[in-house]
Amino acid sequence: MTYLSFFKSELKLVIRRKQDIVNSLVFFLMIVTLFPLGVNPSSSFLEPAAGGIIWCSTTLAILMSVETMFKEDFHDGSLEQLVISGLYLPFLILLKLTVQWLAVLLPLLILSPLFSSMLFLPWSILSVLIFTLLLGSPALFLIGTIGAALTLSLRRGAVLMLLIILPFYLPVIIFATGAITAAQTGQDYMGQLAILAAISLAALALSPGMAAISIKASIN
Amino acid sequence: MQTTLTLSASNLCIERSEKLLCDDLSFRVRAGEILHITGENGAGKSSILKVIAGILQPLSGDLDFSGEDISLYRDVLQAELLFLGHSTGVKNVLTVFENLQLYFPKATDTEINNALMAVNLEGYLVTEAHQLSAGQKKRIALAKLWLTDKKVWLLDEPFSALDTRGIKVLEYKLKEHVECGGLILLTTHQKPSSVLDVKELHLSL
Repeated sequence: MTYLSFFKSELKLVIRRKQDIVNSLVFFLMIVTLFPLGVNPSSSFLEPAAGGIIWCSTTLAILMSVETMFKEDFHDGSLEQLVISGLYLPFLILLKLTVQWLAVLLPLLILSPLFSSMLFLPWSILSVLIFTLLLGSPALFLIGTIGAALTLSLRRGAVLMLLIILPFYLPVIIFATGAITAAQTGQDYMGQLAILAAISLAALALSPGMAAISIKASIN
Repeated sequence: MQTTLTLSASNLCIERSEKLLCDDLSFRVRAGEILHITGENGAGKSSILKVIAGILQPLSGDLDFSGEDISLYRDVLQAELLFLGHSTGVKNVLTVFENLQLYFPKATDTEINNALMAVNLEGYLVTEAHQLSAGQKKRIALAKLWLTDKKVWLLDEPFSALDTRGIKVLEYKLKEHVECGGLILLTTHQKPSSVLDVKELHLSL
């Protein structure tokens, strides 16, 4: 096995299992359409709430896709093969994560103009929304990976995983929606974006290594 | 290098779920030898293979590969290691060909074809693995033996779920491997046929 062959097969796996991605996108779409129906469909309510609605549904969609990330590999034994392949496990995890991130985020980014017009988010704010998604979502994926790796061998680990990682998700959501609100009120939002990027970079440095340790502990 | 290929364990203690599986276990395998690990279910046969591969950590004890201490880091061994565990590591949504290509990206189409022919899976090249039976999936994993150039093979129950012909073919492959200077550790409940010249290591509960 080489890094390249692993990356290629991960790409193939994501493409073959497109149902999973469609599921999380449909889930996302449902929240965005049901929210206005359930609360208030007027633009005076939705415009300030749009950032929050989109970010909360993004977080849930990412959680859904991260939670199952290692499950199949764990059960069919390919995780064991990765551990003993002699390749650097944190880097393999990072490759896997990149593929997942692209698979979930690209469709979201492509659909984001649609979402934002459904929620009366002005076009001028759309670019800020896309920036927060690009800078903030890597952090959500990376932190989620640690949780997924930690709870891998548990039969019903999903709730435990949520408990472990949700506190770490809060700053990302707060700063992402903060950036959008700041942009809507005409304030400077670069500070929030910089913090999002900083959280993502810190997670990038820590998460693959910690996930690798957790995986080695889980496959025992 | 080939002549000095040895794998040895000394005073190995393995614990699983707070139960001591083996205490003070030592063995030594040289190139050209097959070590057959026997024992009842739950005696710790698979655990020993996993410890050697580096999937499990032993409680104490030392491992040595060709004169290098690999107790802490298995890198040197893993560069020469092929491990086939109970779970096959076969991806369900990939085709048989893609499954092998993942592990052997440099193998040519003909090499993969020949390997599949050896395990009697020719004609399933582009079949997705979830359409195959358990025995056939096992044989996808076994096809790796025909593609690999690794010297150290750890095989956990390689004969299970195989038909008589498959067992025979596999036995000849194992024989060929040790004759070419490889070394094999295997667990199996079947008595290996006289084709193979094996050393036995018995684990008791």
